[in-house]
Amino acid sequence: MKLGIKSALAAAALATTAGAASAEGLGIEKIGLAVPNLQADFFNQIKLGVEGYAGKLGIEVIVVDAKNDTATQVSQVQDLLTQGIDAFIYIPAGAAAAAVPTRLARAEGIPVINVDREPEGAPGDTVIYGENVVSAYQVCDHIIGLAGGEGKMVVIHGQKGTTPEVQRFEGCKMAIDENPGVELVAQQWSQQWSPDEGFQIAQNMLQANPDIKLIFGQADGLAMGAAKAVEVAGLADQVIVGGYDGDGAALESLVACDTPFIVTATQSTQAMGVLAVNSAIAVANDASVPARQIPNAVLTTCDDAAQFVAKHP
Amino acid sequence: MTTLNGSERKTNLSDFFSLSGATGPLIGLLVLCAFLSFATDSFFSFRNFLNIADQITVLGIMAVGMTFVILIGGIDLSVGSILALSMMVLGYLNVEAGYPMGVAIIGALLASAVAGAVSGLLITEFRVPAFIATLAMMSIARGLANMITNGSQIIGFPTWFNLGAIIRHFGFLTITVAVMITVFVVATLFLRFRQEGRALYAIGGNPEVARLAGINVRLTTIMVYMVCALLSGLAGILLAARLDSVQPSSGVAYELDAIAAVVIGGTSLSGGTGGIVGTIIGVLIIGVLRNGLNLLSVSPFLQAVIIGLVIVLAVAAETFKHRNAR
Repeated sequence: MKLGIKSALAAAALATTAGAASAEGLGIEKIGLAVPNLQADFFNQIKLGVEGYAGKLGIEVIVVDAKNDTATQVSQVQDLLTQGIDAFIYIPAGAAAAAVPTRLARAEGIPVINVDREPEGAPGDTVIYGENVVSAYQVCDHIIGLAGGEGKMVVIHGQKGTTPEVQRFEGCKMAIDENPGVELVAQQWSQQWSPDEGFQIAQNMLQANPDIKLIFGQADGLAMGAAKAVEVAGLADQVIVGGYDGDGAALESLVACDTPFIVTATQSTQAMGVLAVNSAIAVANDASVPARQIPNAVLTTCDDAAQFVAKHP
Repeated sequence: MTTLNGSERKTNLSDFFSLSGATGPLIGLLVLCAFLSFATDSFFSFRNFLNIADQITVLGIMAVGMTFVILIGGIDLSVGSILALSMMVLGYLNVEAGYPMGVAIIGALLASAVAGAVSGLLITEFRVPAFIATLAMMSIARGLANMITNGSQIIGFPTWFNLGAIIRHFGFLTITVAVMITVFVVATLFLRFRQEGRALYAIGGNPEVARLAGINVRLTTIMVYMVCALLSGLAGILLAARLDSVQPSSGVAYELDAIAAVVIGGTSLSGGTGGIVGTIIGVLIIGVLRNGLNLLSVSPFLQAVIIGLVIVLAVAAETFKHRNAR
């Protein structure tokens, strides 16, 4: 009740100031955004997308960063709710997408928009995530094609058990199965999707199988680390590396095109942020939103990376 | 909050001397609360204090165990991993193997205690420095936690388990917070009034003198590491209730938070001085700071800098005090 009066007052105050008046009438003045880890460019891009678009609409955004820890995230969501947010954009941290933040927000009766992952048993009003299977298929199909449809291949996975990890492998496996000449000789899982892990894992794989021709890293960080390991091993002419996500650094590396890492799938991260804000507004106004919204990732090679560097989708 | 203030006053009356080490941190905490009350209107509310109590449960219980270890001049880097191990054992026994929750909790605590006992034995019998022994245990326990499910999470606990962390009995007390307060009270009384509690200070001051004074230093050391691990395991169970799920990557770097809380609370890293009341205040400072910075919408990057500065400030203040005393 107290909150209701407060937000009504705030709305009235907003209505009197011409500049921010646009927020009034949207049904939302304050959005809480819970991000697993801002060190990862993928999440940072979503945050930029949400902030940029919400800023234009005159909506305030409060961002919290869980540093990959589920418990921290639950605490942060409690704090967001204390601040009286009108909508909650939730990107779960860790492999166990915790259901508790969704339940807490539900108890307050505010819209819950899931991005990237969705907790089992506690769905939000909608979930927005990048398409994984088809895009991963395209990346693997592309590098296998460049290798002439044959050769030894390895996969460096992301954090085991996460949705993108499972689905990207599913897509890539389809491409591998279509080419009987391609032999999957090793796979290894990383904890953080990070370049140093990619480097180390690839180095060990190259040690065990010096005749590897194809590497698929499930994230650009992993792929770029692996490409560096290939260069260090002096195998840059023999190995082709494919990545995923279309991170800023990865796209710039593709523009330069001077490493074994030559293809990725660029996710529409900023568009996801915009979509999340729009969905929150729609739910707040009782409009219907699809249960799943799945923007495609775009296959990106050395030739067409430049346009995405100029403006990330 | 109110219960903490209550215990504060009680110790103040009965044992004024022991609080002297924690007055600095206490003033810091009060200043912090006063500042946040003025800086943001959502901080000073009953609901927010309950949130803070929820948020510090895991850190609070781990920090109690860490206080014991640091008091005897040791260090335990394995608490975060043992927390994860306890969670995974709990999840495995209850969800995968289908045992009742009571059995699963005992199993999880047992696994934690064994890990702590191994650390203690390595330190006392094999003369491995505590830093190395617990560093090894950190790696071993994390590996075991991962092996239980091959790295994936477990969900599907009974409903009442999660409700224990959500339902507020008498309007304010969740079961998890009640467990934390119980641990605080028992640990404070133990350190103050039990002979075994006073022995920890003696060992931290000088283990050789403690031995000559008739204290069984080896056994006490093993027990301390075992209790510290047991409390980490207990914290893991409460965390599992709070998250309604368990995953082996939980609790990474929690040992550093626990050490930071103990140090901010005025317990000396070289052992022998300090206490639980200081640690509780240290835990509250970290909890209030994180909560307040979130409420102030401080950018996550700046938050990390501020928390680092507070740790430096607390330790520097302690050093200055010692220098002046000398």
